[in-house]
Amino acid sequence: MSDFEPKIAAFLCNWCSYAGADLAGTSRMEYPANVKIIRVPCSGRMNPLFVLKCLANGSDGVLISGCHIGDCHYSEGNYHARRRFAVLKRFLEYIGIDPRRFQMSWVSASEGDKWAELIDELVDEIKEAGPNRMGNDKYA
Amino acid sequence: MLKELKDISKELLRTGRASVILACRRSSDGVSAMPHFIFKEEDTDAMVLDSYCVYNLSGYIKDFPGRKIGIVAKPCDARSITVLLQENQLRREDVSIIGIECRGVIDEKRSRSSDMGFAEKCRDCKSSTPSPRDYLIKGDGKTDKKDEGRDEYVSIRKSEAKSPAERFKLWQGEFSRCIRCYACRQVCPMCYCPKCVADQAHPSWFSRATGVSGNMAWNVTRAIHMAGRCTSCGECERACPAGIPLMELNKKIEKDVKELFGYEAGEDAEQKPLFSSFDKNDPDDFIK
Repeated sequence: MSDFEPKIAAFLCNWCSYAGADLAGTSRMEYPANVKIIRVPCSGRMNPLFVLKCLANGSDGVLISGCHIGDCHYSEGNYHARRRFAVLKRFLEYIGIDPRRFQMSWVSASEGDKWAELIDELVDEIKEAGPNRMGNDKYA
Repeated sequence: MLKELKDISKELLRTGRASVILACRRSSDGVSAMPHFIFKEEDTDAMVLDSYCVYNLSGYIKDFPGRKIGIVAKPCDARSITVLLQENQLRREDVSIIGIECRGVIDEKRSRSSDMGFAEKCRDCKSSTPSPRDYLIKGDGKTDKKDEGRDEYVSIRKSEAKSPAERFKLWQGEFSRCIRCYACRQVCPMCYCPKCVADQAHPSWFSRATGVSGNMAWNVTRAIHMAGRCTSCGECERACPAGIPLMELNKKIEKDVKELFGYEAGEDAEQKPLFSSFDKNDPDDFIK
């Protein structure tokens, strides 16, 4: 599995995590290129369907990242996200999807280093988990 | 019991407090029951009330917009009505709830195989008297279907103890039988969206063909949409022609929501819905 390069969809909130990832870039920190970043207005914008669509269409992992609790640009968007995805996370695990495939994090605009470390770790974990079988009908 | 129910229904229709009564009548096989919508007093004659009245009639409320409705409700149905009230899908003054003291309903699939028995959901029933209600039809006082002291999540816990690979195989197997007829959605009182995400083409959220990814995405979506809303009426599982144990999914979410947020669906019409509210101390140990 050493040549397996996972595809990871990362949904980042516009105000914190996207800026955090941007900071990692402008600070020339190196991290794996496996994440495809999708910018959303707020982690509260995230619908469990987004995650399912990614997994059903072949993403090996999905990451949602937003502002730290208490720092949401819209005051409470991330509180809603936290509640929703706590349920989804446990549920995906229940039906046998590797819990490493769906992760959440809080990354602020000043945490470029945290972002780079997070992605390093995430890519390692998903490489361990192997390719996602949910999006591939030949494993039926 | 039945006479009392008919009298109340006639009264509701006569006084105009309801223009339609949602109830049950005998179906053509002479044994089972079917939904019966009553618009005229004389139609109350066909009403029946027994443990074959398995239906959660609150699912039909959405089909009568702008009408005053009388509805015959078991405890689980009344909880569904509570959720509809919480979500502003109807006004309390528009619905007259004729509560039935329920001893449990027959599991049609099991009774056909000659092993006559109550539905699995009834063994874990929380209460035999419905709430909210405007009337109460008392039962015959015979023993209950409820299995006192049974752990209602026993099969969930068993499943949780399995390895992820085993669970993946198990649920892939179950979902592979799904023919995407959406009977689970049609029968669910909580599925009232005018346009379901499963029917949307733009954007298309998941494959509409019966395949691994689409079946899984649909079943997960349905289950997740039930979080904090499912009142364990068991209609989805009853309607499923493929025999997918959908209640095992609903119950898992019910259990998680109870553990994580201390929330139970259909308890209080004044309470905010689970996902419309939050607590500053919600668990976040899963977030990095």
